[in-house]
Amino acid sequence: MAMEITQFLLAAQSADAKVRTEAETNLRQFQEQNMPLFLLSLSVELSNDEKPVESRRLAGIVLKNSLDAKDAIRKEQLVQQWMAIDVSIKSQIKDFLLKTLGSSVPEARHTSAQVIAKIASIEIPRKQWPELIGSLLNNMTQQDKPASLKQATLETLGYVCEEISHQDLVQDEVNAVLTAVVQGMNLADHGPEVRLAATKALYNALEFAQTNFENEMERNYIMKVVCDTAMSTEVEIRQAAFECLVAIASAYYEVLEPYMQTLFQLTSNAVKGDEETVALQAIEFWSSICDEEIELQEFESPESGDSGPPHSCFIEKALSSLIPLLLETLLKQEEDQDQDDTIWNISMAGGTCLGLVARTVGDAIVPLVMPFVESNIVKPDWRCREAATYAFGSILEGPSVEKLSPLVQAGLEFLLNAMKDGNNHVKDTTAWTLSRIFELLHSPANDFSVISPENLKRVLGVLLESIKDAPNVAEKVCGAIYYLAQGYEDAGPSSSLLSPYLTEIISCLIATADRTDGGDSKLRSSAYETLNEVVRCSNIAETSSIIAQLLPVIMNKLGQTMEIQIVSSEDREKQGDLQASLCGVLQVIIQKLSSTDETKPIILQAADQIMLLFLKVFGCRSSTVHEEAMLAIGALAYATGSQFEKYMPEFFQYLEMGLQNFEEYQVCGITVGVVGDICRALDDKVLPYCDGIMGLLLKDLASSELHRSVKPPIFSCFGDIALAIGEHFEKYVPYVLPMMQGAAEICAKMETSDEEMVDYGNQLRRCIFEAYSGILQGFKTVKPEVMVPYAQHLLKFIELVSRDSQRDESVTKAAVAVMGDLADALGSNIKLMLKESAFYDEFLGECLQSDDEQLKETAGWTQGMIQRVMVL
Amino acid sequence: MADDSSTSHRRDPIKSSVGNVAAQRRRQNAVTVGKERRESLVRAKRLCRVGATGDGDVPVEENDMITDEAGFLLDTQTSSAVEELKSAVAYQGKGAMQKRVNTLRQLRRLLSKSEFPPVEAALKAGAIPLLVQCLSFGSPDEQLLEAAWCLTNIAAGKPEETKALMPALPLLIAHLGEKSSLPVAEQCAWALGNVAGEGEELRNVLLSQGALPPLARMMLPNKGSTVRTAAWALSNLIKGPDPKAATELIKVDGVLDAILRHLRKVDEELATEVAWVVVYLSALSNFATGVLVKSDVLQLLVERLATSNSLQLLIPNENKLMQRKCTLIVVLRSLGNLVAADSHTISTVLVPGHEITDGVIKVLVKCLKSDHRVLKKEASWVLSNIAAGSIEHKQLIYSSEAVPLLLRLLSTAPFDIRKEVAYVLGNLCVAPTAGEGKPNLIEEHLASLVQRGCLSGFIDLVRSADIEAARLGLQFTELVLRGVPNGDGPKLVEQEDGIDAMEIYQFHENEDLRNMANGLVDKYFGEDYGIDE
Repeated sequence: MAMEITQFLLAAQSADAKVRTEAETNLRQFQEQNMPLFLLSLSVELSNDEKPVESRRLAGIVLKNSLDAKDAIRKEQLVQQWMAIDVSIKSQIKDFLLKTLGSSVPEARHTSAQVIAKIASIEIPRKQWPELIGSLLNNMTQQDKPASLKQATLETLGYVCEEISHQDLVQDEVNAVLTAVVQGMNLADHGPEVRLAATKALYNALEFAQTNFENEMERNYIMKVVCDTAMSTEVEIRQAAFECLVAIASAYYEVLEPYMQTLFQLTSNAVKGDEETVALQAIEFWSSICDEEIELQEFESPESGDSGPPHSCFIEKALSSLIPLLLETLLKQEEDQDQDDTIWNISMAGGTCLGLVARTVGDAIVPLVMPFVESNIVKPDWRCREAATYAFGSILEGPSVEKLSPLVQAGLEFLLNAMKDGNNHVKDTTAWTLSRIFELLHSPANDFSVISPENLKRVLGVLLESIKDAPNVAEKVCGAIYYLAQGYEDAGPSSSLLSPYLTEIISCLIATADRTDGGDSKLRSSAYETLNEVVRCSNIAETSSIIAQLLPVIMNKLGQTMEIQIVSSEDREKQGDLQASLCGVLQVIIQKLSSTDETKPIILQAADQIMLLFLKVFGCRSSTVHEEAMLAIGALAYATGSQFEKYMPEFFQYLEMGLQNFEEYQVCGITVGVVGDICRALDDKVLPYCDGIMGLLLKDLASSELHRSVKPPIFSCFGDIALAIGEHFEKYVPYVLPMMQGAAEICAKMETSDEEMVDYGNQLRRCIFEAYSGILQGFKTVKPEVMVPYAQHLLKFIELVSRDSQRDESVTKAAVAVMGDLADALGSNIKLMLKESAFYDEFLGECLQSDDEQLKETAGWTQGMIQRVMVL
Repeated sequence: MADDSSTSHRRDPIKSSVGNVAAQRRRQNAVTVGKERRESLVRAKRLCRVGATGDGDVPVEENDMITDEAGFLLDTQTSSAVEELKSAVAYQGKGAMQKRVNTLRQLRRLLSKSEFPPVEAALKAGAIPLLVQCLSFGSPDEQLLEAAWCLTNIAAGKPEETKALMPALPLLIAHLGEKSSLPVAEQCAWALGNVAGEGEELRNVLLSQGALPPLARMMLPNKGSTVRTAAWALSNLIKGPDPKAATELIKVDGVLDAILRHLRKVDEELATEVAWVVVYLSALSNFATGVLVKSDVLQLLVERLATSNSLQLLIPNENKLMQRKCTLIVVLRSLGNLVAADSHTISTVLVPGHEITDGVIKVLVKCLKSDHRVLKKEASWVLSNIAAGSIEHKQLIYSSEAVPLLLRLLSTAPFDIRKEVAYVLGNLCVAPTAGEGKPNLIEEHLASLVQRGCLSGFIDLVRSADIEAARLGLQFTELVLRGVPNGDGPKLVEQEDGIDAMEIYQFHENEDLRNMANGLVDKYFGEDYGIDE
């Protein structure tokens, strides 16, 4: 019954684009014509050990992508599609997949495990695959099954546990699954492959094991096995076991107390002597404990006194042993460590953990670290000096200002001098430490800074000299200048302190950005971003003329990028990066200068030329638009207001292009935002462009290719458009409203176990409400009756959201506001509907009692609107 | 499930460079800005509901309800803004100052928002102590400015609301000092001006707390808006009725110079406020008037009047709104005060034949010609003072362009102007007298004015219920009866129905007028009257 599709699958991976496209078309046609058969054919391909690995791999991927997608709307469609398939075909597919777990080809087993888990995620909660767990467990309990099958089965169990909730199974099944996994870790019974697979499966199943962790006996057993596994002879298994411990530290912090002694020993040994991959996980364990305790401290509300989860103070208790352990790691720098952000090694992880410990315990860390700093910072070995500086820089966040500032005051001059150290690594860390000092202990806006007006000159002298040092050092110096400038933002009279140096700082940063020894564009982008912050935070009254002079300089630089010879795609990329940075600077300058009435004319005068440049930047690419230019145009539209109209004929094509950029979804997202900016700038003058824009936005929404993060803002954008064009939005209503209703229904069905999905759901709800608000307000004075047919659905959606106890505060605000908009716009039209909805009184009551003033205010307004409707 | 399940958990290293984070933050910031703008736009739409209803048959009370709603909303917003301010004042962490400024700004905007600012709500929520705290020494300028601005708006409220500012007064006064930045000092001056405008009691409090000297010093520099605000506040502060403050002000070193300097400036608004100070100085304090008259001020006022074309007349009946654009009137009033307060001025400064005197008459004529009643009235009042001077002064006016204008005004203008005009004309017809008794006539003037038809105007005044005007009418009638050559007087009075007019007083409750009227009728229209005909 299944079709032979090997040739297509191979051709779809051909290097020849023509062959590839043709094969893709064939596959798509097959898929569209007969979905069930297509999926069955894929599973047959995957299960057949005689087929080439390449075709099986693609078959597995296509199969997986037919069952799951990141986008919630798309995912829901796929689920429905799977459920609609005939039971007999589904069970054939599942049988082929289970059979593949016993394949001799590891990759096929792995892919099959993933696909099984995807099907399980659909069917197990609906009780449609009751035999799965039994058949998997069967693979484990039978002695004679090959290790490869057991390994694949454990992997599958792990994935399935990750996909489903323990509540989807009866407790006996849950226990049996965990028993199978934990037994798989047993040294006596299994070889290393199985034990490694079991350990990884346990990692995936940790959340699933919730009830078992609540039971002390079972918990003790699991912990014992994990700790034993952490001492396996195989480094990979040790690493996997430590990964489990890290995850347990996050998920089950509150029950760890009895095991901490053991865990400290285990992690301590690993940090001191184990392989780096294991040692890194051991440090990560402590970092995770810090994460938990910091979170507990943040959410701790001393006045309410209600008993949240207990704070066990593990870090505080372990402090005197933990700190020396971590300080030791700082001395294990790599000899010629790459100085970039991706570097991750023992000393980097140790310093990061030290920083978290400082945030957890505050002042208590200072006396434990300072002796290390003081004794090492003057030693001849650069490792000692670097480690000392790094330790100092790491503990600057957490301890009190009172505790730190004398130390920083005393050490500042030393650090400034250390910018002339003979070792590059030391200078790098010193510059970073200075940036931390400025970030954390320099806040003239709050009348506190370790930098007095008197030594500012000295500090800047050192920084502007050191910015000429090696690229990695220069980059860290940029960071220091960045935070130094940031401190003076809105700092009242102190904000003037930096003004006299502004010209020099700006020219140094531009010179740094112009350097060619940086290798990649990182130094340049750091220099420009620092320039942006310097501009953004400057005292505009005193520096507007300097910024006004900077504007043509940057415009000129941007103009020069058009002259770059483009031979290779690398050249193209380089040009794009440079344009990104320069457009970023222009965005900040535009924002800064358009923020006051005195300086806005500077932008208005230059607007034509600026826009011309942006259009040229767009013109440099054929198929995509430039994200940063788009963002800057948003700022320009705000500055020019309705004057922006004259740029629209030329600019519109790029707007269209941005809205069609599915691959670079950030570009698409930013373009959606710019549409909003333009609507606010042009108001009803945007009308001639609305058909085009709306068409693309609707296409975006319907697309399964486009990243889901762009979709909620599209709804808000509908609101922006409706607000701008008022009654003219009417013709879009038949298209837009069903989309909104559909999205609202998806929200209702969204699963609540996945935190990321919950966030997404909240965002989507809020944006749907924003769309309704914009449309209702847009129609309010002219044609409210258009919205009457949609009122009931909206009201139901609000009701549903109001009953969701997990709803986010921002959703609540949007919901209560849209309810007011509904009453405001439709008036007596919805009187009956409101009378029949009992929920709103309670919902309003809840909002009116909120601690959030803005919410209270909105609820008060809505209440007024509804009262008005009710008395009409 | 992770395809790359082999990679370990990597957290971001603590030691990172700034580039990426910064770019992300910047982009995030740009996106947030857009969101904020959307929110504020929608909020604005929600609040803006003028004429905003879908259905046509809206009940009348709709509007009230809307106002109530908006008012209610504004009140809630205001009390929540005060609450936010409370927590911002208590907060000490990073960004505390920005937080305070932001909440202050929010409150200030609310207080500036409507025609009926939510002052009561702000006071109820406890705004004053917080604002006082925000005024503490060493606070950043932006914060001081916003706090003072809030107080300014509160002080613009009802009397009891203005009084609520009492605890803030010492700090507001303190920030007037030279060490404060100009915008802060100016805002504080504005707040204090509002307080001073409230009434005598608060003026005395301010004076006792020493508000006058720093405000006076604010008038000295050449900063237009600061001087204007200070002058405005001062004019409210020295309003009296006790003349002490006015006297004190003119004694402050440099103030007189400053007044003269600012009056010379082109800036109309500035000149207006300074002229107001002159008005109160000259109206209240003889000492101040004496000092002013000896200066160039008169000359300057005349020049101002001659050149100014600003006829935007906004009568300052609301002391708390600083939008008095009535330059001419104020200048004219200053001039009038100076002329009226001291007869010495008229005889020594406005000497006929001097250039300045001609100037004065010329500008007064210009004012009489204007379309604005207040200007006409004030000009007439000044003229009447001059006409009360020497015989030369009377001749000067009599032969000026003013007389035909006055005559026309007497027959056509509203009552209050006619009355002032009557004083001028009356004064023109009588000679200065040394002692008691009936004034001596200037026959030529009287005959000519009567001949040009002024009598009916005076007879009209006789009929007026205003005692002062009636007396003026009777006095002039007496002049006509007595002084018109050839004994034509009685006949003229009779022709203008003067007898009827006087007979109203036959049994009038005012004894003085009754006797006067009856006496005239008896004397000139007694039993013998009319026998000749």
